[in-house]
Amino acid sequence: MKIDPVFIWTAFVKLLSALPMTLFITAISVGAGLVIGSIIALLRIYKVPVLQHLAAFYVTFIRGTPMLMHLFLVYFGLPALIDAVSGAFGWTFKSSSVPILVFVLIAFSITAGAYLAEVIRSGILAIDKGQLEAAYAIGMKTPQALWRIVFPQAFAVSLPNLSNSLIGMLHGSTLAFTVTAVEIFAEANIVATTNWKYFESFIAAALLYWGITLLIEKAVAVLEKRINVYNRGGVA
Amino acid sequence: MIKLSGIRKTFGKQEVLKGIDLIVEQGDVVAILGPSGSGKTTLLRCINYLERPNEGEVAINQLKVNVKRASKQDIHTLRKKTAMVFQNYNLFKHKTALENVMEGLVIVQKLPKRQARELAVQALEKVGLGGKLDEYPSRLSGGQQQRVGIARALALNPEVILFDEPTSALDPELVGEVLAVIRKIAGEGITMIIVTHEMAFARDVASHVVFMDGGVVVEEGPPHQLFGTPKEERTRQFLKRSIQEWSYSI
Ligand SMILES: Nc1ncnc2c1ncn2[C@@H]1O[C@H](COP(=O)(O)OP(=O)(O)O)[C@@H](O)[C@H]1O
Ligand SMILES: [Mg+2]
Repeated sequence: MKIDPVFIWTAFVKLLSALPMTLFITAISVGAGLVIGSIIALLRIYKVPVLQHLAAFYVTFIRGTPMLMHLFLVYFGLPALIDAVSGAFGWTFKSSSVPILVFVLIAFSITAGAYLAEVIRSGILAIDKGQLEAAYAIGMKTPQALWRIVFPQAFAVSLPNLSNSLIGMLHGSTLAFTVTAVEIFAEANIVATTNWKYFESFIAAALLYWGITLLIEKAVAVLEKRINVYNRGGVA
Repeated sequence: MIKLSGIRKTFGKQEVLKGIDLIVEQGDVVAILGPSGSGKTTLLRCINYLERPNEGEVAINQLKVNVKRASKQDIHTLRKKTAMVFQNYNLFKHKTALENVMEGLVIVQKLPKRQARELAVQALEKVGLGGKLDEYPSRLSGGQQQRVGIARALALNPEVILFDEPTSALDPELVGEVLAVIRKIAGEGITMIIVTHEMAFARDVASHVVFMDGGVVVEEGPPHQLFGTPKEERTRQFLKRSIQEWSYSI
C-alpha cells in the first residue's frame, strides 16, 4: 500500500471546513443535554410523583440503546409524527421543510440528556445536604440554593465525567454523516471518495478529532484547577 | 418573643416530639439539655421548618405560623427571622469566609454588595476572624469554621439564633474559642436558643435552662434552680451522669 503523506495535510485542511459543523452539533447537543439532564436529575432526586418514573425510564432506555438508533428513530419517526399532527390540525406545515440538521440536533440532545442526567445526578448527590439546609436556614429559596450553592459544587465534582461526556458526544457526532449532515467525518468521506485516497483522508480526520479531544482535555484541566481552589488545604 | 405551642413531630411511627411548649423572651439565652435522642435537634429544626412539625404553632413576635396553615411564604418569612448554627458548621465550601457571611445579606436581604461586605467584615471581626476573610473553609480549623458559621448567623441580625450543639464536633482544645464567642454575643442581648452538652457553659451563660427527655420538656427554669435544686428525678439523674462524664473527660 502506498501512502501519500502530503495528501494527509491536504485532506486535513479541507476537513477544517467541516469543523464548525462538528463543533456546532457537539455544542448544541451537550448544551441541550445539560438542560434536559438537569431537569431529569432533579425530577429523580426530588422524587416527583409519576415524572420521576418517566425520567428513570428515559435514562435507562436511552442508555440501553445505541446512539445511532436514537438518530434513526428521530430522523424517520419525527417527520411522520409532524406530518400527522400537521394534517390533523389542517396546517400546511410539512416535515420536509425542516432541515435535516434539526433532527440530528434533537436526536443527539436526547442522547446527551440521558447520559448527562446521570452525571449531574451523582454530582448533586455528592454535595452534602447540610449545605442546602444552611442555605434554607438563611432564607434562600430552593432555586437560589440549588443555583448558588449546590450546582457550582456539583459541577466541580462532575467535571471529569462531564468532560468524558463531551468527548463522547464529539466522537458520537460522526454518526450524523449517516443522515447526510456534513460534519468532519462526512467531509472526510467526500474527500476520500473524490480523490480515491481513503486512508489518508481518514488519518487526517482522526488527527483532527484527536486534536480537538486534546484541546478539550487541556481546557478541562485548566478549568478544574481554577474551580477547585477551594478544595486545597484542608487543615480541619 | 418566641412562642412554641404544642409542637409534635413523628418520624414514621416514632413520636420524637410529644407536644412541646416553650416561651423565649427577647434577649433570653435558652440552653436546651437532654440525653442524646431526646428530640433537641428536631425541636430546633422545627422552629425554622427544616423539619415540618406534624402539629403546633411557632410564633416569633407578630408572625404566627401554625402547621395547619403554614404557607411557603410563612416558612420563608420564618427562616428570614431566624438563623442557625449547625453542629457540622455546614459552611458553603466553595465560598470564602467573607462570601459565606455575605451570601444571605446579598441574596436574601438584597443589600448592596458594599454594605453587605461591611456587615460581613464586622461580624467576622467580632468572632475574631478579621484576618481570615478570604480563606476557604477547607483552610480553616474546626473552631474557625464554626466561628464563621456564627458570623454568618450573626450578620443577618435575626430575631433569634438557633445553635445545635455548636461545639460537639470540635476537638476539645478548640471548644473554648467557640464558647467564648457565643458567650460574647450572648452578652449583647441577642436572643439565642442553644442545644448543648457543655454543662458549665449552660450554667454560666444561659438565662433559662430547659431539660428535655423522650420528646417532652421535663423541667425548665433559671440555671441556679435547674442545676442547684432540680425538682424532677429524671433531671437529677441526667445531671449526675453528665457531670460525672464531664469530670472523667478532664
Ligand atoms: N430525619 C429523621 N428521620 C427519622 N428519624 C429521625 C430523623 N431525625 C431524627 N430522628 C430520630 O428522632 C429522635 C430524636 O432525634 P434528635 O432530635 O436528633 O435528638 P437529639 O438532638 O436530642 O439527640 C432520634 O431517635 C432520631 O433517631
Ligand atoms: Mg442533636
